[in-house]
Amino acid sequence: MYGWIWRHLPGNTGVKALISLVLVLAVVFVLFQYVFPWAEPLLPFNDVTVDQGMAAVR
Amino acid sequence: MTVRWIVRTLSELCVTTGTLIVLFVCYLLFWTGVRADNAMDQEIGRLQERWSAAAPAPGAARPGPSTAPAPSGGPRPYGSGAAFAVMYIPRLGADWSKPVLEGTGTDVLRRGLGHYAATARLGAVGNFSVAGHRRTYGDPFKDFPLLRPGDAVVVSDGTTWFTYRIDRRPYRTLPDDIGVIDPVPRASGYRGPGRYLTLTTCEPEWGHSHRLITWAHLDATQPVVAGRPPALSG
Repeated sequence: MYGWIWRHLPGNTGVKALISLVLVLAVVFVLFQYVFPWAEPLLPFNDVTVDQGMAAVR
Repeated sequence: MTVRWIVRTLSELCVTTGTLIVLFVCYLLFWTGVRADNAMDQEIGRLQERWSAAAPAPGAARPGPSTAPAPSGGPRPYGSGAAFAVMYIPRLGADWSKPVLEGTGTDVLRRGLGHYAATARLGAVGNFSVAGHRRTYGDPFKDFPLLRPGDAVVVSDGTTWFTYRIDRRPYRTLPDDIGVIDPVPRASGYRGPGRYLTLTTCEPEWGHSHRLITWAHLDATQPVVAGRPPALSG
């Protein structure tokens, strides 16, 4: 997979390395900005209330 | 060729998964804290700006200590998701101060402590109940188990300092035990109606099988113009 990407990047080794770095940073940004905030509530660290989903009942 | 390809793809997948997990842990342990501290500072800053804008000029201020600490905000309901108070708990750190926001939704608790919308207003008769993260998002209630009877929980709404005193050691309960935020909380030992405060967070530290609760009663109030309450200066 990574080899395939590397081979399809344009330019010489330096340019390829630069583009790779930008790609990695972009992926990390998307993860931190969108994917992890979405995934995080699925873990138990958010459950700090005693009326989870029952606010309407009270 | 094919075996080599399979092995290579498999190892690439493993490395990718490992990197993802490490990144996610970094996000949880570090980045949520950075973001939350930022958001909380902003909320507190905005509150203080609003309060100083709303406060009368010092010369026009009413004679402080003799004024009854009336809820001068009136019965205007708290705006959902908006900060309306700042909480100080000296036991959790001399500089521990967090904004209190209305509601207990996920996005609210990312920006501060959350007030259960169905419970009493700050300082009112009933049970002013607040939830906060134990871990991640700035770890506001990390040291929750250190709270002891007699500890002060000071909350300011911009016009009045409310000093609550904790009455018993943190109480461990189940996640669906909504009786703990009743106007007269169950299992708290309080008999009649009063001005109570309840704090809730998760237990164990990184889990969600239980909740940790602490109760306090309103001990003293004083107008903001009279200066900081003794519980904070001591």
